[in-house]
Amino acid sequence: MSAPSNPTLRVAARDARVVRCREICRDHVRIEAVLTGFPASAPGQFLQVLCHDPDDPAPRFIEWSDSPTPGLARPAPAEDTAWLRRPFSIADRWDDPDGPTHLEVISRAVGPGTRWLSKLRPGDTLDLSGPLGRGFDIPDVQRPLVLIGGGVGIPPLLYVARVLAQRGALDVTCIFGATTRDLLPVPLCQQPRADGVATRCVELPGNARFPALVTTDDGSMGMRGYTTTALRAWAALRADAASALICACGPDGMLRAVAGVTRELGMTCQLCIEKPMACGFGTCLSCVTRIRDERADGGWRWALACTDGPVFDRDALLEYAP
Amino acid sequence: MQLRPPATGAARRLARPDTLRLVNTAGPNPPASSAAGPGLPAGPGDPALDPRMRVRIGRLELRNPLLTASGTCGYGPEYAGVLDYSRLGGFTTKSVTRLPRPGNPPCRTAEVSGGMLNAIGLANVGLQRFLAEKLPFIRTMPTPVFANVAGYSIDDYVHVAGALDAAGGLAGIELNVSCPNVAQGLMFGTDAALLGEVVRAVRGVVRSGLLIVKLSPNVTDIAPLAAAAVDAGADALSAINTYVGLAIDGESRRPLLGNVTGGLSGPAIKPLALFNVHRAYREVAKAAGVPIIGMGGVRSAADVIEFLLAGATAVAVGTALFLDPTLPLRVCEGVTAYLDRHGAANVAELTGALRLT
Repeated sequence: MSAPSNPTLRVAARDARVVRCREICRDHVRIEAVLTGFPASAPGQFLQVLCHDPDDPAPRFIEWSDSPTPGLARPAPAEDTAWLRRPFSIADRWDDPDGPTHLEVISRAVGPGTRWLSKLRPGDTLDLSGPLGRGFDIPDVQRPLVLIGGGVGIPPLLYVARVLAQRGALDVTCIFGATTRDLLPVPLCQQPRADGVATRCVELPGNARFPALVTTDDGSMGMRGYTTTALRAWAALRADAASALICACGPDGMLRAVAGVTRELGMTCQLCIEKPMACGFGTCLSCVTRIRDERADGGWRWALACTDGPVFDRDALLEYAP
Repeated sequence: MQLRPPATGAARRLARPDTLRLVNTAGPNPPASSAAGPGLPAGPGDPALDPRMRVRIGRLELRNPLLTASGTCGYGPEYAGVLDYSRLGGFTTKSVTRLPRPGNPPCRTAEVSGGMLNAIGLANVGLQRFLAEKLPFIRTMPTPVFANVAGYSIDDYVHVAGALDAAGGLAGIELNVSCPNVAQGLMFGTDAALLGEVVRAVRGVVRSGLLIVKLSPNVTDIAPLAAAAVDAGADALSAINTYVGLAIDGESRRPLLGNVTGGLSGPAIKPLALFNVHRAYREVAKAAGVPIIGMGGVRSAADVIEFLLAGATAVAVGTALFLDPTLPLRVCEGVTAYLDRHGAANVAELTGALRLT
């Protein structure tokens, strides 16, 4: 008795099997799950992940038809149970030739839901809905492309890197930032340089072999400073910097800075934002952000991060307007 | 055009012709006791289409007692690819107001223990765009659709409800007199005299579809409000809307919601909802023969059974749709299993079957 099969979306797929959990840096886990029948997805799209045990009837739904003791022994959810799903960018996705899809998410333990995720082990089940939202729109892979990720905003850019490599993009540079060296949630294959020269220091998924700059706020790894420090360094070495498309995801302050610098340097920019959301389907209307709309009163309207985004053109987002 | 004589709810209802059809099906609804009839394909093995699941809301027969609750399922297209409407009992839209409303500033929702607070602020496209952009899709939905109507004056309610009823394609109107997110909204839902006035006024313009009144729990006693709605001609009651709540971030000493307060929904309110459904049923609805659509924290077949026993005829799933939009269909299996285990002929006989002695 499943829902109608939808070619673009799977909801409450309870058959995602966790096959690998890696603690990739302090507080961050990278979870790989395998499932079949997962629809096509694009980098920047996200999953709504159930962050409590789908097999545990306590926080979920008792089905009397399945229960040996109908209606009995149904404990209340623990106070720190994350009941609503939590949105996670797809950190990577690839498909085996014989069908099954591999999905990765990267989670930083900051609350009850992400703490629950960090306890997952191979063989566990992950209940997820997706792919949701609108991803990055990169029609031209010949232009210079810069992928900027900050902290736990890095994951969608990893998936972007895989797809760009598949599409034959050559002029791609990654800029990944963290507050300090042990909070960078990507594996390194060599020490990043501190002088603003991008090297192949970061392990990217698939066949992506793009150079990267790493920044830390405290200078404990790579360049001291912010991702915009590295963006300026990159642009200073390039005569064609203004023709670049910048794809960025990260904390609010970083996105604001990236919006400002890309505007100043005449670059095109798409930003992947995060807003508190309940559903992910455009029904709860929680995850609103103001976007420019000349036809609307006052020149703006509310847009939903879940269905209109989470990726927006920089100039549409009023919160990052000059 | 049929003008309604002023009569008590129950008497007037009995006098009405039994002409309403299940929306978007080929023929009139079969009586609840019959086997599969026109428009209701027999579904052996599909609990959602099990003939024992059929219930009546006024003149309307639903294929099963599971509905979606307003504000948790959009206007229809949002879940169209994932929730099979041809197996759903009924659908209730996001609130519609006379004029478009942008809604409240963020943050609009906050998760709390056992549920969530929301202060969306009745964000909606307004009546004209609803008619032009939403109704055409709704007309294609193979399930009865109720439009939830909110307003700030009796004139608002009458204008919107009348226009929607006249437009055709809806199974009825659910009157939102209790959305606690807008200051003025509290009035209609908490004052029995005012509630009676607005329901009576809307009753006069809702001619082709059902008129459902959604009751607010933010009152000392829900019974007088239920009575006011029934006496003013409501075909059914839905109970309950959200509870007003407050969530605070102690560190910043600020409310979590941009609107300060919001409506509490989810499993946390289920016992309160059961109490109010039972009270409205026992004190008002049972004697008047007015069905109740129960809601508040429903997330399992067990919850559905509990609402039926408390006095509900149908049950709506709201916040739990955010976890799983297919939940109204998934719980049907558990409900039919309960019928088997308890030797019940149909879900209708569970309504109000709570044993008190």
